[in-house]
Amino acid sequence: MTAAAFLPWLVVAMIAVAVVQIARRLFLWRRGKPATVDWLAGLKALPSRYLVDVHHVVDRDRSASKMHVPTAGGLVLASSLLVLGLVPAIAGSRAYWALVALAFLVMSAGVGLEARRRYPRALPRLSLGQWQRFPVLLGLFAGGGLLTSLLAALGNPLPALSFLTLIATATGGLALASTAATGPMRHALAGAAHLVAHPRPDRFGGGRSTGLRPLDLSVETPWSEKRREEPFEEEGPQKLGVETPSDFAWTRLLAFDACVQCGRCEAACPAFAAGQPLSPKHLIADLAAATAGGHVRPYAGQPYPNARETIGAAGLHAPIIAPDGMVHPDTLWSCTTCRACVEECPMMIEHVDAIVDLRRFQTLELGAVPLKAEEPLANFRGCDEPNGRALKERTDFAAGLALPRIADKGEADVLLWLGQAAYDLRGQRTLKALIQTLKSAGVDFAVLGDEERDCGDLARRLGDEATFQRLARANIAALSRYGFKRILTADPHALHVIRNEYPAFGGHYEVIHHTAFLAELVAAKRLAPAPLTGRAVTYHDPCYLGRYQGEVEAPRDLLDALGLERREMARSGKRSMCCGGGGGAPATDIPGDTRIPDIRMGQAMDTGARTVAVACPQCTAMLEGVTGERPEVKDVAELLWEALQAGERTNGPAVRELEPA
Amino acid sequence: MKTIVLLSDARNPVSGRQQLSRLEAQAIGLAAGLCEKPRGLHAGSGEDGVSAGLGHGLAGLDIIDLPATDDPLPALAGFIAKAMGGAGAPELILCGRRGEGGEETGLVPYRLAETLGLPILADAVAIRAGEIAGTLVVDQAMAKGARRRVTIKLPAIVTVHSLAPPPMPFAFGRMRRGEIRHHEPLERLGLPDTAARSDASAEERPHRARPKLMRQSGTASGGPNLHVGPEPDEAARLILDYLEANGIRRYGSS
Repeated sequence: MTAAAFLPWLVVAMIAVAVVQIARRLFLWRRGKPATVDWLAGLKALPSRYLVDVHHVVDRDRSASKMHVPTAGGLVLASSLLVLGLVPAIAGSRAYWALVALAFLVMSAGVGLEARRRYPRALPRLSLGQWQRFPVLLGLFAGGGLLTSLLAALGNPLPALSFLTLIATATGGLALASTAATGPMRHALAGAAHLVAHPRPDRFGGGRSTGLRPLDLSVETPWSEKRREEPFEEEGPQKLGVETPSDFAWTRLLAFDACVQCGRCEAACPAFAAGQPLSPKHLIADLAAATAGGHVRPYAGQPYPNARETIGAAGLHAPIIAPDGMVHPDTLWSCTTCRACVEECPMMIEHVDAIVDLRRFQTLELGAVPLKAEEPLANFRGCDEPNGRALKERTDFAAGLALPRIADKGEADVLLWLGQAAYDLRGQRTLKALIQTLKSAGVDFAVLGDEERDCGDLARRLGDEATFQRLARANIAALSRYGFKRILTADPHALHVIRNEYPAFGGHYEVIHHTAFLAELVAAKRLAPAPLTGRAVTYHDPCYLGRYQGEVEAPRDLLDALGLERREMARSGKRSMCCGGGGGAPATDIPGDTRIPDIRMGQAMDTGARTVAVACPQCTAMLEGVTGERPEVKDVAELLWEALQAGERTNGPAVRELEPA
Repeated sequence: MKTIVLLSDARNPVSGRQQLSRLEAQAIGLAAGLCEKPRGLHAGSGEDGVSAGLGHGLAGLDIIDLPATDDPLPALAGFIAKAMGGAGAPELILCGRRGEGGEETGLVPYRLAETLGLPILADAVAIRAGEIAGTLVVDQAMAKGARRRVTIKLPAIVTVHSLAPPPMPFAFGRMRRGEIRHHEPLERLGLPDTAARSDASAEERPHRARPKLMRQSGTASGGPNLHVGPEPDEAARLILDYLEANGIRRYGSS
């Protein structure tokens, strides 16, 4: 009997070991909360999700896709061929063994490419430890299998050697199979299952799904029934948010296991770059480790920058964020919810959802928000605005602009949502430019005035779902009183919340960002801006417009229409870097080594542009907060208004009086 | 030590909405340090504002339903008197030091103390149980950051100063799980002459110009001016000297 004849049995043994290991993991996943999964649709979509969506992300790092295709393809091909070898007639054929050898050759080539990423020194974003040993095991299996099957194809000239190579193959193969539950190989099945049962199926196939899911707060309050002696049960179905791994839906636990620790999220994370104690990769690895329990943290990547001390006790039913838990609260509150990690993740993991779920428990059940974030949340409860200003003061800045109120008109084409920028001196400059532009284009618009409450974005990202839902319902009630065709806003955060998160509360509106609206006006020749030639600008994509909405073209079209020389930063469009202003990060204010806007402004200065064009009041505030010599920060609306005024000076009034549509 | 926190009908200064007064939220924090399950008591209409007390750490909330315009004092006094007669009688009643609801007088703690015959101590910043059972050690806030430690016998009413530790953070989940009991105002207890007082207690007097306190009349003006246990005559002479020296009294000694 030749050594190669054992190879099919080796594969069977590997499959058996892996099945046992995965079954153990399966039990862990099933301990999560139930989730509704459309299995049929998921399975049907699996090939396209894997081959199109996942590959598209993996392929951004060419060395990764070049490595993964032959390795995984060769492994699957060789293993399936070897299973066929259980049929004695096939196993006798030398051509068959040549074919198997070819499959192993493909895999060996892939492993070689992978090893080049890790040896002699791994890319900094990659994890070491068992991930560093992974190519060794793969190499043992692939190389051993190659030699064994090659010898069999040659007619078994060296039986002793072929048994040696078989032993190498078996060592590598069984080691791989035995780590199928806890080691790197976990990603294969967990990743595939995650693609099938993905909690956001709409994001595949070019779609987008970025809105947060509402938390059910409608549970009957205990006192609404008969009085109870012991109404307090900290543990129970009423717990809001996620405290322990078992509070996650099982599909989320599955997602954490899919992580391959490639570190792309970490490389993209603005908080990580600024030295705040957050690494999305580390967090997901921690959540996966916490699910399995125990004190050991088998993590060999870069630590959280300036990591805060934690004890690291973990378990399926142990609090994740706790004095003796796995993750320090500062890690949680460093996140700007910019979704850069989600955008970069080849395994389609939803980091931000996990962070918001964890924040919800901290805020709603413990009230454990960072000290500085308590004030805006208290202001929300007291007067519906995070800055504690009166709603009726929102339109004060527009004194002299004759801002029409929809309450006076009853209806308008466009409802202008002013947002929080109306309380901020810098934001008011942008809004004034926008309002004047709208007037000069003859747009029929109006504002809600004191009926406009804050959209609730900040409250929701800080985990205060109760406040968000109250504000959302109040705003929807106010909006439903008036007739308008669409909502226009200069704040991408309000845009995202109203467009993507209000529908869950019955508010369905067509919302348009001012850059898209102004681009429309310019394209329709309702505005005639003079060219602002001779100026170089670079456009900073707001996360909540670029990544959250996929809107990256309109602002650029508008800048091009103004005749500006547009230079792109290294990170732009959907892969742009955050300004540090989202997700309540300015409110939580977790200290790091540097500030996120400083990093982003550095990138803008690298382009040599004298102006940074922005399209979000948060970005404006953050980037204008950068000290020292720096490009000026101008909203796209301000640049357009400047061009319109320049046009007025040269060509006489550019204002075309148009009847309101 | 069973503790009740009185909650007033405070208003948000910006929106005018009902909200929990910060002072009372601080009082809840102090109460939680003494009592495992502090309860709140509110007499008035609506629970929108005061229910936030549950989120700041109250274990339960009793609301005596009253029309918003009614004087809450008799209902409060009746409720507390009844509770103090029964088992698990409250020993400590905490209040904020001032009203935060428009035309509130801020006198409820004092008139309640008068009605119930309880001692009242103002402006607590820290409280703990005394070494002797049935006593309470209170740190009182005085002007210019001074503190005074006072030991009082329970039961008592204590008002809380804004320099007390910040309140426990608000947690929506705690509020949602907290228990609210509504009560009818069964027994109303008033001062014997409440009706007469409410009309006649305010006396009108013509304005009388008083000498201004000079700026230099603070404690910093002279040298050490502390006299421990002087004879009454000596003390009176020292005070008069001090007033003369600082130009507050100008009659010439003797």
